[in-house]
Amino acid sequence: MKVTVLSPQKELYNGDAIRVKVPGKAGRFEVLKNHAPLVSSLEEGVVLVDSGSSKEEFQIKAGFIEVLRNEVSILIQQ
Amino acid sequence: MANLKEVRERIKSVSSTQQITKAMKMVSAAKLRQAQNAIVQMRPYDKKLNQILQNVLQAIKGDANIAMAKERPVVTHPMLVVITSNRGLCGAFNTNIIKEGVATIEEKFASHYEAGRLHIMCIGKKGADFFKKRYPKAQMHLDHVDLFSNLEYESVYEIADLLLEKYAALELDSIHVAYGRFKNAAMQFAEVHQFAPIAEPEVSESADQGARADYVFEPDKQELLEDLIPMIMKTQFYRFCLDTHASEHGARMTAMDKATENAEELKKELRITYNKARQEAITKELSEIVGGAAALGG
Repeated sequence: MKVTVLSPQKELYNGDAIRVKVPGKAGRFEVLKNHAPLVSSLEEGVVLVDSGSSKEEFQIKAGFIEVLRNEVSILIQQ
Repeated sequence: MANLKEVRERIKSVSSTQQITKAMKMVSAAKLRQAQNAIVQMRPYDKKLNQILQNVLQAIKGDANIAMAKERPVVTHPMLVVITSNRGLCGAFNTNIIKEGVATIEEKFASHYEAGRLHIMCIGKKGADFFKKRYPKAQMHLDHVDLFSNLEYESVYEIADLLLEKYAALELDSIHVAYGRFKNAAMQFAEVHQFAPIAEPEVSESADQGARADYVFEPDKQELLEDLIPMIMKTQFYRFCLDTHASEHGARMTAMDKATENAEELKKELRITYNKARQEAITKELSEIVGGAAALGG
């Protein structure tokens, strides 16, 4: 699935990933391939993007995630 | 007759001034490009945020209950945020923004000011200098005057967070922002925008964005909306700062370009005066020699 992580200033991640872990407001959760369409707000914590070969972590203050047809968009405020 | 030496010196001083304005223009052009780039960079973020908002609004079907969009019946503590540049030499740019700010105060908040309930926050030294003097009875917020020396979105969002917190806590009842909207390098507009309460977001009816997916909303639509709206407002505030920043450099570039042109014209005129004076001096000298020779020969 395709993942983009955006901050207002720049694109922090853009590429394929097998797993994304985010601090959802209703609890930390993981998004895998073929996840149902979802919109959630995020709270303070760590966003983890796992592309299989490498893992990237982003510390966030707030944010949103949208999942639609294997495209994950994460908007964050650091 | 103009003194030759005087004119020569003036030409020299105009030339060096011209060099300075030319250099400033080029520096502004480079900074403008950076500032424009920042605006372009934030666009996808802004777009996605609004897309998510649309999704939620469509799912909620007009039942939105947005606290940030509600007009307060009585405004007792209005806030005006004035975003200007730190430095001058950019034409009427800062003056125009300040003028818009003053017009808003006179028009809407004159009585609040007299009662000492008007809040003014200044970002940028030029506005701060002016409003401190002009409105001594207002409650000034000057902690963030120097924002532009290090324009990072984190610090901008912090200021916006602070404003929204005060708004939510009823310490402020309305927030207006005076800033320079950026259109292109040659066009900037000084504007006052009502920041809070925000206009009720509209549901766009365009169904062309593909079949609407059946989203799962977490935690729930209403709560999501309450998180989204402030984020959108903060992003808008960031946009105000970026716009003003780009406008400043655009305005300075135009001003310095004009100044360079004027210097060129001035130089041309001075050179004509100089040549005339020089020729006059030569003619005078020649006629003196001829006269002298004639007197000797006679």
